[in-house]
Amino acid sequence: MPDIDFLAIHGLAVRKAAGPAAVADLLGVDEEAVTAAFDALGEQGLVAGARGMFMVAPTGQAWLAEQYPVRYADARQDGALTAAYERFERVNTDLLALFTDWQTIPAGTTRVPNDHSDKEYDRGIIDRLGNLHEKAERVVGRCAESEARLSRYLARLESAYDKVLAGDLDYVSGVRIDSYHTVWFELHEDLLRMLGRTRQE
Amino acid sequence: MNQSRVIHLDGTQLPSRDLIGNKAWSVGRMLNLGLRVPPAFVLPISECRAYLDSSKVLDDALWADVLTGIAYLESVSGRRFGDPDSPLLVSVRSGAAVSMPGMMDTVLNLGVTDEVEAGLARRTGNPEYARDTHARFCHQYGDIVYKADLDTYAAGHTADDIRVMVLDDTDLEIPRDPFEQLRGAICAVFNSWDSARAKAYRRHWGIEDAGGTSVTVQAMVFGNLGEKSGTGVLFTRNPLSGAALPYGEWLPGGQGDDVVGGTHAVQDMVTLEKSMPDAHAELMGWSTTLEREHGEVQDIEFTIEEGRLYLLQTRTAKRSPRAAVRIAVELVDEGVITAEEAVVRVTPEQVHTVLLPRLDTADARQRPIASGEPACPGVACGIGVVDPDEAERRSTEGESIVLVRPNTSPNDVHGMIAAVAVVTDLGGSTSHAAVVTRALGRPSVVGVGDGVAASLEGKLLTVDGDGGHVYEGEMPMVETRVEDDPWLSRFAEWAAELSPMTVVTSSTELESDVFDLDLAGFGIGHEGSVIDADGLQRALAGKAAVRGSLMSTEQGMKAALDAGVTYVIARPVLPLQLLAIRIQRGL
Repeated sequence: MPDIDFLAIHGLAVRKAAGPAAVADLLGVDEEAVTAAFDALGEQGLVAGARGMFMVAPTGQAWLAEQYPVRYADARQDGALTAAYERFERVNTDLLALFTDWQTIPAGTTRVPNDHSDKEYDRGIIDRLGNLHEKAERVVGRCAESEARLSRYLARLESAYDKVLAGDLDYVSGVRIDSYHTVWFELHEDLLRMLGRTRQE
Repeated sequence: MNQSRVIHLDGTQLPSRDLIGNKAWSVGRMLNLGLRVPPAFVLPISECRAYLDSSKVLDDALWADVLTGIAYLESVSGRRFGDPDSPLLVSVRSGAAVSMPGMMDTVLNLGVTDEVEAGLARRTGNPEYARDTHARFCHQYGDIVYKADLDTYAAGHTADDIRVMVLDDTDLEIPRDPFEQLRGAICAVFNSWDSARAKAYRRHWGIEDAGGTSVTVQAMVFGNLGEKSGTGVLFTRNPLSGAALPYGEWLPGGQGDDVVGGTHAVQDMVTLEKSMPDAHAELMGWSTTLEREHGEVQDIEFTIEEGRLYLLQTRTAKRSPRAAVRIAVELVDEGVITAEEAVVRVTPEQVHTVLLPRLDTADARQRPIASGEPACPGVACGIGVVDPDEAERRSTEGESIVLVRPNTSPNDVHGMIAAVAVVTDLGGSTSHAAVVTRALGRPSVVGVGDGVAASLEGKLLTVDGDGGHVYEGEMPMVETRVEDDPWLSRFAEWAAELSPMTVVTSSTELESDVFDLDLAGFGIGHEGSVIDADGLQRALAGKAAVRGSLMSTEQGMKAALDAGVTYVIARPVLPLQLLAIRIQRGL
């Protein structure tokens, strides 16, 4: 199977359900290449799609599970990558704490949903996001030294962060958009699949 | 002698915010009120401009004034910078007139060296604290001043460990001389004005690049010098209930944010009153002064050093939605604010939260079948489903579904969107699942324990996202009624009087026909969907009474006010009245 077909189904598995454009954006390749890959994968019964939206079929999930240890055998032995991944997990802990602080605000001895009326509080969090983004840049950069396509996540994180700075606050942790959390969450899933790790949360 | 270019905050003057920035101004204000604050001096914003416009070195004349500033801190504190036997430690903080991302924030404990660490260990009788203070300083200096790629600080490292990590990453050595530490930190604050992030932020928000930031240098006080020392937080009113009684936490022997070695337990104000009645009385007096001065509940950080009270910071206290209402009403009763000020101090969202139906926990026969960490507040009821695809399908068919998962990945997000609530086996309140459910507003309980979620499958569940419990069956809910709460009912009277829109719960008393925006295609759609503003304006023209989900949004209410709509039909009425008042006042 050509590499692009494997990557296309892997990207689709990270996104769960998506069109070729979104998967192409995640992988940093041409949309036409992903469309062609989905056609080929569809014929083998590995992905299923309707009206431009695709999902990995159950046979595709099983096939992927067999492929990962083979395709990423080198990556799993790559000390630099696994070290970068350990660092990723630590940034992950800090980022998730930041998202929590963004969504909830101290109210006395407890926390309540943040209604974003306190600009000073929000600015403080955005400030922290800036610092963590610098850490994220380094850690994703290290991961990309082993798997070049991962640098695409960096561009997407950068784009989310820029939107936040420009005042589009949904891009911190919004769900249906490519928010900082959405992109980070996908990167996390991508790395877990590559390295064959299990999610601890 | 030329006038000093640094300003000593000694309570004799209060330079403007534009000159010295917010943080220094706030310290200066407390001093001007006659309250005791650790001594501080400030390099005004103009010095940042001068520094950045020149060769980016602190010129000799300015540095001489900084040294005079340190001498001032030494004379007030009775300690000396770099002296192992009685060390003066200082904090360095940035302070632009408007705070912004990318600016260097705060470095604490400047002035600590190997010798000072040994001295602190002798002075406090606590070598562990001395070592930790030194290590934390190195970590913070490396992280903030040198932008080293360090992991979050964890106890156990020595200062030397961290110096090596910083050197490895940045090729920079953390200064061992206190004055070089100070010079480096001041320059870093000034330089941060020109950081890429700060510039990007200013560009987005149209703030001029020509400004700058001040630098505040302040003596640190010690909460860990024996029995008569400690640190704490005081709310001038109870932040949970809103009751007009100070509420605080006090950590004897504690320093700053640190719970030293975990050996001290947080205590209440009564303990402080018993052990140090004078300091306690002084604190109560000062907190009253600050609340009156700000006209708003304060959250005050303080430290007591060998029996002597110091205020570190005061700010408007964060409070629960319920407390927000009670405090606003009582401040009116006390003549501190007007009813008009009170109604805009509570947001529509806060009132909405107060009026949410609550789980009736009076029935003690009901025991939760699973418990974990509450991750997103609210209560919802539905059938437990493990598979996110099944959850999505059944929800489309009209069923209420509770998604119950071992853990969550991006592959589950569509199921979380479809569900009315979410329960997970693993994870804490900062897990991906928690973040996603909060972004969606789905009540959730996380970390109920390995294998528990699967056992919930197929059962009718009530998820209590406030308490962190899952009950079997549909639990009864109780309505919160405005008239049952003495503060809420008075607050509601004011809001009804002041609202530019008449909001009623039912149309039966109205003579006009009610126009339903949802039926007319102007409903709240998916997140991010845009309502056609012109179409909305045309649809509302000439309508006397309107209902619809859009009326709880700023866009909808504004359009209705502009179109001259007389009545809005909604339940509960109070959040919409507050929204209308805020729109009328341009808030």
